[in-house]
Amino acid sequence: MDDFIAERRRQIAFDMLQHANLVFQCVLVATIVAIALAVLINRFKVLEPVANAVSAVGLTLPSFALVGLLLPLSGLGTTTAFLCVVFYAVLPVLRNAVVGLAGVDQTLLESARGMGMGPVGVLLKVQIPLAWPVILAGVRTSMQMSMGIAAIAAYVLGPGLGSYIWTGLVQTGGANALNYAVVGTVGIVIVALVADLLLLALGRLTISKGVRVA
Amino acid sequence: MSAETLETTTGPPDHERRTSPDEESAPADRGARGWLARKSVSRETVAMLVVPPVLVALAFIGFLVWRQTAELDSVEANQLKWSTLSRLLVDHLQLTVVAAVIVVAVSLPLGIALTRGRVKRAAPLVVGIANAGQAAPSVGLIVLLFLWLGGGFWTAIIGLSLYGILPVLRNTITGIQAVDPTLVEAARGVGMTSTETLRKIELPLAVPVIMAGIRTSLVLIAGTASLACFIDAGGLGEVLQTGISLFRFSLMITGALLIALLALLIEWIGRLLELAYRPKGV
Amino acid sequence: MTDQDTHTTPQPHDDARDDRDGRRISGVDIELRDVVKKYPGQKAPAVQSLSLTVPAGEVVMFIGPSGCGKTTSLKMINRLIEPTSGTITIGGEDVRGRDADELRRTIGYVIQGGSLFPHMTVADNIAVVPKLLKWSKQEIAARTEELLDLVGLDPARYRDRYPRELSGGQQQRVGVARGLAADPPVVLMDEPFGAVDPITRQRLQDEMLGIQRELGKTIVCVTHDIDEAIKLGDRILIFSEGAHIEQYDTPENILAAPANDFVADFVGAGSTLKQLSLSRVNELRMGEWTTARQGDDAADAVRRAEAARQDCVVVLDERGRPVAWPWLRTLRRQQRIDVPRRDELVTLDRRATLNDALDTMLSSSHAAAIVTGDKDEYLGVVDFESVTQHIRAQEAAAAEATEAGGATEAGEAAGTGEARP
Repeated sequence: MDDFIAERRRQIAFDMLQHANLVFQCVLVATIVAIALAVLINRFKVLEPVANAVSAVGLTLPSFALVGLLLPLSGLGTTTAFLCVVFYAVLPVLRNAVVGLAGVDQTLLESARGMGMGPVGVLLKVQIPLAWPVILAGVRTSMQMSMGIAAIAAYVLGPGLGSYIWTGLVQTGGANALNYAVVGTVGIVIVALVADLLLLALGRLTISKGVRVA
Repeated sequence: MSAETLETTTGPPDHERRTSPDEESAPADRGARGWLARKSVSRETVAMLVVPPVLVALAFIGFLVWRQTAELDSVEANQLKWSTLSRLLVDHLQLTVVAAVIVVAVSLPLGIALTRGRVKRAAPLVVGIANAGQAAPSVGLIVLLFLWLGGGFWTAIIGLSLYGILPVLRNTITGIQAVDPTLVEAARGVGMTSTETLRKIELPLAVPVIMAGIRTSLVLIAGTASLACFIDAGGLGEVLQTGISLFRFSLMITGALLIALLALLIEWIGRLLELAYRPKGV
Repeated sequence: MTDQDTHTTPQPHDDARDDRDGRRISGVDIELRDVVKKYPGQKAPAVQSLSLTVPAGEVVMFIGPSGCGKTTSLKMINRLIEPTSGTITIGGEDVRGRDADELRRTIGYVIQGGSLFPHMTVADNIAVVPKLLKWSKQEIAARTEELLDLVGLDPARYRDRYPRELSGGQQQRVGVARGLAADPPVVLMDEPFGAVDPITRQRLQDEMLGIQRELGKTIVCVTHDIDEAIKLGDRILIFSEGAHIEQYDTPENILAAPANDFVADFVGAGSTLKQLSLSRVNELRMGEWTTARQGDDAADAVRRAEAARQDCVVVLDERGRPVAWPWLRTLRRQQRIDVPRRDELVTLDRRATLNDALDTMLSSSHAAAIVTGDKDEYLGVVDFESVTQHIRAQEAAAAEATEAGGATEAGEAAGTGEARP
């Protein structure tokens, strides 16, 4: 095992970064999309049950099935992996953002408007900062989930550590099969833990001290 | 896998307490809603119970029509034979049901034990370990088990069960912990033993949360079972796997569609169970 | 069952309260001796050596600032909290001599808001203890009916409802019924009426007095409301921190002669006003009012009312219960009296305090209130005039009494460390 890692140190480090890179990009895009949708839903309440239903159905869909449905459209490779991860990454953020925005005290919004803030100002300076802890919790869930989904997307030649697991499976019986599978799995767990810590730190930096719990 | 976000809540609690001085006008909304009567059912719940099975049925009918009319080459026809599909479906269901039964049989008693007496203190630790375990990718877990134990049904079952334990375990613990402590004290105060309190008060009141955990687990297991094909344990993933390796769109779509429809159907069954087991009056 | 004469100590003020002579007592004594509760890791014990006797058939109210140990003291009686040392006996029997769960089945327990089990029907909630005691189905069903009747809920209508289908007051009533289900000699109550609105609370208190008059249980009740303590208690126990007894006496004595500054502060200023909670409506002179039955000749009723210079008539049903209080202009339009039953007609139980009476009158459009007795039968009408008259008469009597022998009474009541009734 030591030799296996030592020989492929650079390649492993590169793939860890690739894995993290894919997930970060997807979660970033997903967060922006989800917040935009949540703002829309917050404005037009009729959309809320629809969004909830889509979330529920979306999260029920097995990711391997989605990979299969996307393949004919986007082919083998990074695009399919990206689309697939973004799809799942949106859902937890969306759910939390809807709840978070709805949870902002109405009287605060009124007083913000009363002080002369425009709708955009209210959104950027009051609503989103107050809902941010809840949204960020959704982002953490999303990040954890995306790590595993990216591993499955590697089956259709997506980037990252997932390929080690699949290689391990293909080489069953071979000398390095177990090494590949272990490095892939453990590597993803490590990337996931580091990412989670980074998000916690981000929360420290971006959540107003006034609304931070503990 | 797609359901890796685990729900611990079951929607907005309906605990408004009436303290109006108007003593006689207590709510007595008891229309004839059949077996749903006297459980508070929101419109959204009803929608989630009615819409998905309809969509699933429509999609399945669409598939049937396509399957009967499409012109298939020999490879496709072989893979899409009714006998093959039904065998894979049965595999998939067996994997899901057996793993779910094991999950419930293990995590329910474990969860209950972790809310009792001295063991209580270990609960955060156990949930923490389970949570960290959940960060491992499902494919990784299944492949590692395969390399260690070899392929087949029971290896898949071990992987699926390990993966499905967390939601039920966590919801059992939170469900019991969330029971209003004054009710527990009331139960002890009128002379119920600790076991009677658990059986008659805590468990019935925790059922909605526990059932939500079981539903989440079911969906998780049904989804992950689509990877069982990689370790020679069959299931509907096989159609999709073949489709991808031969790059046949018809097989890919069929596999993906059947997996998705089955997952939705199982989620729907989970919702039905949730409603059926919810105690009246709550 | 303790005989009445074994416990009664002469109570000089008894005549000022409900006549309790010859009433049935089904309760037994509760005795606490040197009871201490010390939680690990705490410097001062939560309860420091508490000794007291609760006589059979009496209502004792525990009151004190929050954190004074009143609830802890209550919960040690049914061993929800185990005392660190000391003995507690109920009817002479040491509570530690029995299995805690079995013990609790023989002690009624009523908590704030009723704490009904939400997944059980009203009947199932009441049947909890009888079921634990393995009563037969018929016995349980009969007892449930009886209790629902007792707390004023129609069994046919409420038996199969779930708690969330009840109002707060109804839930609390069921809570009381559950506490009484197995006919326990002793009932513990923890802020039983804390979670309901003032009008409902007043009604529940009146009902509890009625029930207690009938049953004669030994009741220990924790409250934070001094008015409630004065209204319900045969005795009041005022605690300070560490469950130290500041005064344990009848409401009359506590109001007339607070043992020390702590008690005086706690009872609060305006204790003359608090006296209003000591007097009951049936001590008032009730006004004569024109009454009529449903179906009577309307013109005749109007004539009688006009002769008495009144502008409304109390209409009674066939069982003598008031149903409405219509103005004359309504009746003038009718041949035979036919007024719909008015649900919002607020009546006063004759056991209600003058405090309650004033509240009710203030919210009534008639500036007066109809008084009812047992089974809701009509007794008369009281107004502000009758209340002020009563207060003046009392003040005059009190002034006389103070001149004559108030000094000795005050000395008697003050400052005995050991609380013996």
